[in-house]
Amino acid sequence: MITLDNVAKSYGAFQVLKGCSAEIGRGEVVVVCGPSGSGKSTLIKCINALETFEGGQIWVDGMAVRSAQTDHSALRAKAGMVFQSFELFSHLSILDNIMLAPRLVQKRAKDEIREHAKTLLRRVGLESHADKYPIALSGGQQQRAAIARALAMKPDVMLFDEPTSALDPEMVQEVLQVMTELAREGMTMMCVTHEMGFARQVATRILFVDAGEIVDDCPAADFFAGRCSVRAQAFLRFEADHPG
Amino acid sequence: MQIWSWHGFFTYLGSPYIFRGALITVYMTAVSMVMGFLLGLLIAVMKRSQRRLLSWPARFYVWFFRGTPLLVQLVVIYAGLPKLDIRLSVMACSIIGLTLNEAAYLAEIIRAGLNAVPTGQIAAARALGLSERQIAWRIAFPQAFRLIIPPLGNSVNGLLKTTSVTSVISMEELMQRSQILVQDQFMVLELFSVAALYYLLMTTAWDFLQRRIEHYAERPYRRQQQSAAVDPIELPVTTQDAR
Ligand SMILES: Nc1ncnc2c1ncn2[C@@H]1O[C@H](COP(=O)(O)OP(=O)(O)O)[C@@H](O)[C@H]1O
Ligand SMILES: [Mg+2]
Repeated sequence: MITLDNVAKSYGAFQVLKGCSAEIGRGEVVVVCGPSGSGKSTLIKCINALETFEGGQIWVDGMAVRSAQTDHSALRAKAGMVFQSFELFSHLSILDNIMLAPRLVQKRAKDEIREHAKTLLRRVGLESHADKYPIALSGGQQQRAAIARALAMKPDVMLFDEPTSALDPEMVQEVLQVMTELAREGMTMMCVTHEMGFARQVATRILFVDAGEIVDDCPAADFFAGRCSVRAQAFLRFEADHPG
Repeated sequence: MQIWSWHGFFTYLGSPYIFRGALITVYMTAVSMVMGFLLGLLIAVMKRSQRRLLSWPARFYVWFFRGTPLLVQLVVIYAGLPKLDIRLSVMACSIIGLTLNEAAYLAEIIRAGLNAVPTGQIAAARALGLSERQIAWRIAFPQAFRLIIPPLGNSVNGLLKTTSVTSVISMEELMQRSQILVQDQFMVLELFSVAALYYLLMTTAWDFLQRRIEHYAERPYRRQQQSAAVDPIELPVTTQDAR
């Protein structure tokens, strides 16, 4: 589904990504973790071309990301993204937030889009909030709406960049629950998160990123059984002691 | 001659000649504001562009039109265009001058608004596959517009009075008509008081209109009672979960 082949990126003299390679198969749930500033956000944003990169290549469902011929719109329709701070369009109602891109980008029939949007809202438990504006919703509700907005494009893969990090603790679970359901339904997911409980439940693989390198890429079972690198184990222990 | 003539004051207040002058002032303000806004939007977008081919002409435009007096610009347009064999009415010259001048100021206001649109929402729109043009029209412009209503309101208020500068090219708006009457009737205070009253009336009407526009644009940003206006049936369900 996604192939990262030696992805490299620099900000001036500072190399953020130092040749990252990984393979994410259809239906896999890959959790990306690692210390702050290690390049996790940069890496995940390279996949849908929100960030450019100078070295290597990324393939999304057979589509090369770093190429002059790449249709960014088509690429981004394949990969839905959820951000740390939700980023709902503040001037649009929740329903309009969800319907905007399917209408403008995919030009699907309005009735079908509306039905689909309502189904998604029901799925994330927000059907009664369709006509509200984002400001009237709690953080957890906003993030669930943002997930519905990404799903409205019928993506093949979902990218999450610390989807619960900006939330008050009592709202983390409601978002993780939606993500867990999504994973159980077979959605391909790449998720930057420190929520090890979530990783333990649904992750098929764990990527551990440190200083711009994927220093560890191992099956979730091995990771949690302590059969992975020393750095990752230390990080895991730290996270266990400092949850969230 | 007496110091103040109430009779004169009320005669001018009821004078269709002065009243029509005020209408012309409103008309010039409305047309130049709308056209100046559109031109200003174009210049603001150009000025924000990474490409120098776009940003430099925009910077030059703003520099030039903010750096020279409107009065000079009007005279140059009025006296210069006929030399190029372009013959336009005084009204057309006035509106062109006001529009070109206003656009330079509005471009800076609009630019500030565009800069203030949350970059995260732009990235989210991009991640959804919207084109840059769609992002501009659907996300950036609407949000920027809401942010700049107060300074835009200032501009409309200012423009209502700035239109009087067009009297220099003999545009018969409110101020010019008052001056014309002063010249043969000598009731300076009475005439200019009436003019001042008209300007106050116009700026007050604009204040009122601006409040309505602001109220409308702020609708998505009010936490309370917003879904009631959209869909009253939703109200019982929605109120309890709102934070
Ligand atoms: N626009 C930028 N210019 C320069 N450095 C940047 C920029 N964006 C991110 N960085 C740097 O790149 C590194 C990786 O950032 P990021 O991918 O956000 O890390 P993470 O998500 O793992 O916390 C950080 O050291 C950060 O300071
Ligand atoms: Mg990050």
